[in-house]
Amino acid sequence: MIGGRRSVEVQRYGRGLEGLVAGESAISRIDGALGRLSIRGHAIEDLAAARSFEEVSHLVLFGALPDEAALSAWTAELGRWRRPPGPALAALGRVPRRAHPLAKYRTMLTVAACLAPAAEQPDDDPRWSRPARILSWSASLAAAAIRHLNGEAPLDPDDASLSHAAAFLHRTLGRAPDALELRAFEASLIVQIEHGLHAAALAALTVISTGADLGSAVLAGMGALSGVRHGGANQLAFERLARLGDEAAARRWAVEALARRERIPGFGHRVYRCPDPRVRVLEPHAEALLEAHGLGERYRVYLALRAEVERALSPRGIFANVDGITGLIYHPLGLPPSAFTIPFCLAIQTGWMAHCLEYTPGGAMIEPGAVFLGR
Amino acid sequence: MIARSMPTDPTIRTLSGSYPWQADHIDWPVTTEVGPGLGGVIACESRVSWLDPSAGLLMYRGVPVERLAGGVSFEEAAYLLITGLRPEDGPAACAAFARRLRSSRALPAGVIELVRALDPTVHPTRLLRAGVSALGCHELSVDDELSGAEHWRELRIVGQVAALVAEIACHRRGEPSPAFDEEESLARGMLRALGGDEPDAADVDLLDLLWVLYADHGLDAPSFTSMIVASCLADPYYNVVAGLSALRGPRLGGATERVLDQLLPVVPAGEAGARAWVRELLAGGGRLAGFGHRMYRMADPRAVVLRRELALAARRRGRPELFAVFRAVEEEASRLLAPRGVHVNINFYAAPLFHLLGAETPLLSSLYAVGRMAGLVARVHESLAEGRLFRPVSRYVGPAPEGER
Repeated sequence: MIGGRRSVEVQRYGRGLEGLVAGESAISRIDGALGRLSIRGHAIEDLAAARSFEEVSHLVLFGALPDEAALSAWTAELGRWRRPPGPALAALGRVPRRAHPLAKYRTMLTVAACLAPAAEQPDDDPRWSRPARILSWSASLAAAAIRHLNGEAPLDPDDASLSHAAAFLHRTLGRAPDALELRAFEASLIVQIEHGLHAAALAALTVISTGADLGSAVLAGMGALSGVRHGGANQLAFERLARLGDEAAARRWAVEALARRERIPGFGHRVYRCPDPRVRVLEPHAEALLEAHGLGERYRVYLALRAEVERALSPRGIFANVDGITGLIYHPLGLPPSAFTIPFCLAIQTGWMAHCLEYTPGGAMIEPGAVFLGR
Repeated sequence: MIARSMPTDPTIRTLSGSYPWQADHIDWPVTTEVGPGLGGVIACESRVSWLDPSAGLLMYRGVPVERLAGGVSFEEAAYLLITGLRPEDGPAACAAFARRLRSSRALPAGVIELVRALDPTVHPTRLLRAGVSALGCHELSVDDELSGAEHWRELRIVGQVAALVAEIACHRRGEPSPAFDEEESLARGMLRALGGDEPDAADVDLLDLLWVLYADHGLDAPSFTSMIVASCLADPYYNVVAGLSALRGPRLGGATERVLDQLLPVVPAGEAGARAWVRELLAGGGRLAGFGHRMYRMADPRAVVLRRELALAARRRGRPELFAVFRAVEEEASRLLAPRGVHVNINFYAAPLFHLLGAETPLLSSLYAVGRMAGLVARVHESLAEGRLFRPVSRYVGPAPEGER
C-alpha cells in the first residue's frame, strides 16, 4: 500500500510517474507480458467462468472467496441497500434529461452523501456496511440515471433477493434478464472489478489518504474514470464500430485509418502488450448475446476490424482491449452508448474500495512534489 | 513525521529540506527518494507556483506571495496563476478576465433547488459537492465533447463555485438566494452572502487576501487528485467534485474548522488562561489545530502575513482579545513545538479571520475551496497542455496465482 510506513527508497521513474512503484498491494496481479490477470491468486478466467459478482466482490474487498455463511451474509448485506434514498432519486428531477448518465449518477451519489453523513464517519465498520451500501445504492441510482435519459421514471421493484447483476439489469430494463444476458453482463462486471493502481484507483487512494470517507474516494475515482482516456473509451470504441456497415467496410476503414496513423479506439493497452485476458473472456459472451438478439453481423464486423488492426499492430504489442468488447455486451442489452461507462464504474469501484481499505491503516497523506520551472 | 535524510548523490532529489524544488528543465526519467505518501516524488513540472519549504518561500508565477498580499484582488491573482501574465502588464485583459469570473455567478434554477432541498445543517462541503455535480449536468449534455475542454477555457467554474458557496451560506441562515452584480467582485458578493449588507472595503480586501493566499500551494492532495482526473480528460465538474472530495478530508480543509472549534472556547480565558490551556493540551499529548506542515520546517510564510492581518482586523472589529489570545497560543505552542520542527501554518490565522468576516465555522473549508479554484484551474490548464497522464504501478505482494510461481 502506497501510504505504508515503509522506509524511504530510491527509484527511477519517468514523466507521469511512469514506472514508479508507488506501493504494495495484495489485491491483483497483472502480467502484461503474458496477458495474465489474477485477483488474490485466482485467475480472472476461472472467476468469470464459475463465480458470481457477490463472490468475486467479497474476494476483492475482504481477501478471500466467501464460504457459504459469509456468502449469504454478504449477499444479504448487498440486498439490504438495494433501495436508494428517495431524495437522491428526486435529484434527477432537477437536472436536464439530456445530461450525461454518469454525471446524473454522480449527482445522485453526492446527494446521497448528504443524507447519511453520520454513517460515513471513519470509525464506522468499514468491512461490511459502507462497501455494500456504495455498491448497491450505486447500481440502483445508475439504473435510474439510464432510464432518465429516455424520460422513463425510476423503477422500485422488490428485489432484495435478486443477485447484484440481475437487480441492476432489472431496474434498468424494466424486465428480468434471461440467463444468457445475465451471464454475459455478470462476466463483464467480474473481469472489470479490479485492475491495480490505474489512474482512477490512484485518485481514490489520494482522497482516502486525506482522511475522507469511502464515498468521497469513489467519487474521485469516478471522475478519473469518466475521462475519454479511461472509462469513456468504451463509448468511443463502440461508436466507431457502429459506423462500420459490414465486414468489408470494417477492413477498408481499418486499412485507411492505419495508413493515416490514426489512434483506433478499442485497441492498445498500456500494460498488456499481448492479447488482453479480459477480451478473451468476454468475446464468447458478446458473440452469443449478439447472435441471440439477431445482431450477429455486428460481431463479425468487430472480428474483421480486430483482425485487420491486430495484423498491422500486434508486432508493436497493440491488441484489442477491454473497452472495445464491453460495448458489444451492453448494446444488445439495450444500454445507450453514453451509459457504457456505468457498468465499468459499478464494477471497478469495488477495486478502488479494496485499495482504500488496504491503505487506510495508518497511511501517510499522498502529497508528491512538483518542480518549478523558470523563475 | 517523516524521517529525513540528506542526499548523498547530488542527482538524487529528495525529501530533504535542502532540495531546491526549482530547475530550468527536468530530464526524465528522474531518480529520487520515494517516501510514504509519495513524499519526495517529483510528479510533474509546473510553472504555476513554487514552494521552497526550506526557505519558507511561496511564489505564484515567480512572485512571492508576501508581495501579492494586500496588493491584488483574488481575480487578479487568479489571472496571474491561470494565464501566467502580470495584471499590471495588461490591465484591460485582466479586467475582462475578472468580468468573466464574476458574470458566471448566475446559477441554473435546478441547481439552486437541488441545494435548497437538502438539509441546511449538512456540512457545506457536501452540499457544495452536490451543487457542483448538478451544475455539471446543466452545463454539459450527453452530446457534448466528453472532456469539457471548452469549459476549462471559459473558467466559468471559478465563479460558479463562489456562487454556490454563497448560496449555501444563505441557505444555512434561511435567507433567500443572493443576487450578484456583474461589476461586484467575488469577495464583496461573498461578504454580502455571509450577512454583511454593505461590506466595508477593508473586509473586502481581507477576503481577497485570504483567497489569494489559499489559491495554490504546491501539489497537495486536492491538487494532485484534480490533476489525475484532468489527465484522464474528464470535464471540470468531475474534476472539482474529486478535488472537493479530497479537500473535505479531516486532514485538510477540516483542519481550518478545527482551529475555531478548539480555540474560540478558549478566548474568554484571556492570554494567561490560553497559555495554560495550550501547555496542558500539549503536555497531555493533544494536537493543536493550525500547527504542523508536511513541507515547511519553519513558520508558514502565509501565516506570518495573516498574523499581522488578524492584529489589524481584530482591532478594527473591536475584538482585540481575539488576536491577543491567538497570538499567546501561537507563542506558547511555538516555544514547545518548534524544537520538534512543528510550526504555525496558514489555518491558524486564517480561521479567526474568516470568523471575523462573519463566516460560520462549518463554512471555512468551502470558503478555502473558492480560493483554491484559481490554482486548480491553473494546474489543469498546464497539465492539459502537456497531455500528461499519471501511471505509477504497485508491487504485488498477495498470494501467487494458482498454477504459477
